[in-house]
Amino acid sequence: MFIAMKPHATQADFDAVIEKVRSLGLTPHPISGTERRVVAVVGNTGAVDPDDFAMLTGVAEALRVSQPFKLVSREVKEEDTVIDVDGVQVGGRAITVMAGPCSVESREQILETARAVKAAGARILRGGAWKPRTSPYEFQGLREEGLKLLALAREETGLKVITEVMSTDTVDLVAEYADILQVGARNMQNYALLERLGKVKKPVMLKRGLSGTIKEWLMAAEYIVAKGNPNVMLCERGIRTFETATRNTLDINAIPVVKSLSHLPVIVDPSHGIGIRKHVAAIARAGIAAGADGIMIEVHPKPEKALSDGHQSLAIPEFAELMREVRVIALAIERPVT
Amino acid sequence: MLVVMKPSATEAQVDAVVEKIRSLGLLPHAIPGAQRTAIGITGNKGGLEPSLFEGMPGVREAIRVSQPFKLVSREMKEEDTVVDVAGLALGGSRIVVMAGPCSVESREQILEAAREVKAAGATMLRGGAYKPRTSPYEFQGMAEEGLKLLALAREETGLRVVTEAMDVENLAMVADYADMVQIGARNMQNFSLLKQLGKIARPVLLKRGASATIREWLMAAEYVVAHGNPRVALCERGIRTFENATRNTLDLNAVPVLKSLTHLPVVVDPSHGIGIRAHVPAMARAAVGAGADGLIIEVHPCPEKALSDGQQSLTPGEFAGLMAQVKVIAGAVGRPV
Repeated sequence: MFIAMKPHATQADFDAVIEKVRSLGLTPHPISGTERRVVAVVGNTGAVDPDDFAMLTGVAEALRVSQPFKLVSREVKEEDTVIDVDGVQVGGRAITVMAGPCSVESREQILETARAVKAAGARILRGGAWKPRTSPYEFQGLREEGLKLLALAREETGLKVITEVMSTDTVDLVAEYADILQVGARNMQNYALLERLGKVKKPVMLKRGLSGTIKEWLMAAEYIVAKGNPNVMLCERGIRTFETATRNTLDINAIPVVKSLSHLPVIVDPSHGIGIRKHVAAIARAGIAAGADGIMIEVHPKPEKALSDGHQSLAIPEFAELMREVRVIALAIERPVT
Repeated sequence: MLVVMKPSATEAQVDAVVEKIRSLGLLPHAIPGAQRTAIGITGNKGGLEPSLFEGMPGVREAIRVSQPFKLVSREMKEEDTVVDVAGLALGGSRIVVMAGPCSVESREQILEAAREVKAAGATMLRGGAYKPRTSPYEFQGMAEEGLKLLALAREETGLRVVTEAMDVENLAMVADYADMVQIGARNMQNFSLLKQLGKIARPVLLKRGASATIREWLMAAEYVVAHGNPRVALCERGIRTFENATRNTLDLNAVPVLKSLTHLPVVVDPSHGIGIRAHVPAMARAAVGAGADGLIIEVHPCPEKALSDGQQSLTPGEFAGLMAQVKVIAGAVGRPV
């Protein structure tokens, strides 16, 4: 259920609503929008009559939320959520570009990539320090050493840093270094991790599970928000289908569908979504044209020597060309690229 | 195998190669191209030795085609195929928009839809006269009466007509009325129908099967071309996945993958691909952004009264809005609509 306050409701009116929610044994989640203040009510609201709230002073309306996800739904919050990543806005008019190598491999590699993607116009640097590799025998990441190198690259270039956190025991460590914590596809329904991320002060990017339906994905986001962290962005990275000509099937349908169901920003990862270097740009254009708020692209100074995902990583000049193509599409739909 | 002739090769030298292919019990296929003359070979069981042809006068090289699809592959023909649909070019730089109702329902309905989509900038009219409905109890289409109405709408508006043929029996009649014959997703691997399509004098729009891989789809197109009809365009319309928030999952990955594997034009159907009216324009924009050569969009004068697919059909007003958005993206990728 959610309770929307009238524009001129006082703080006392608001507090009275919160008090009443608590007295019923339910949890209030205040949501501030520019238009109006809303209180989402979480818990077993089956026996509660919305009219009991609608008659309180300062309340405009009290409605049940029809979707199983509440705090992340557009029903509860109509306006787009704009996430402030240490000064870079994600989810506003501007399209956010995140780029960098699949894995942080060395000081030289991450610094060279960071400088190049910055020069081409990216604002956020990606790079994995903990890598969820299918095979236990493959490169697993540089761990804390990788985080330090990402921090160094941030210091040198001013780029913000996004990197993956794989388990609850490294959340604090990763949060110390990263500006955005990424949850990978394989962890989309790792509920212990999601709950722990609800307590973190940094924004979270939640990738879609390989077989996660849109509803399951939004429920996973709901876990993080319900536990206290409203700064969640979603990332479509391709789903598992019968098609084998591509690594995954990028579900671009999900972009308009999620944008209509949820107020959270939607990022697209065409690198994993198609998995073929020469086609990444076409799919990045499609993602932007469909209404994505940002793109995440794998870039490596020497893709053929990359320790992971070389076949889908762009060389630096290819990334610069992709940025030109993306800017043209973004301009056509009147969105700047940052 | 592909035998590429030198630019200076004479007609007699080309004929000699064709003759040699026939003498080996194989089938020669002339591959038209602005840059070069080439002859595709099919019918061989194993690999052929390039030396069989490379010594012949006028021959530049003989290349093995690595893909299982031959005539439709980019290896055989590097340049994009431009399919001529009664004078309209599909597959050139211009993006072709096909629009109209799911089914032809009445004279008024199809004429009104045709006038509206034409006014908004479509150049082809879609409309089913034979409908492959999941349930045998639902509206099955107006059959020949529907074809006549489509012909009437063409006469009145000048739009080219694309409509579905469902089986071998009605193919000749559909081809009589249509400018382009559509093969629906459920018939993508109806091989007897595909073979017959090779014999007709109309271009074919081959939709992707709901569970067909890109390779299977290209092999289906190969059937049509191998049986004599090179005028084939492919249509991505969404595949079957676990996701149930949308009717299908529109596989836009297929657009750049196909454009690199084949020279055939690629059309996208966002109406079936997402199945939700409000989101059709976003997916149409995405398709053009990904590099599609055309779009096919369901438009109905009164979607809520449509006999089929009302939930994904646009009103004429919504379609005009979609066209404006598509033009913006097309302009950005340097293609007129």
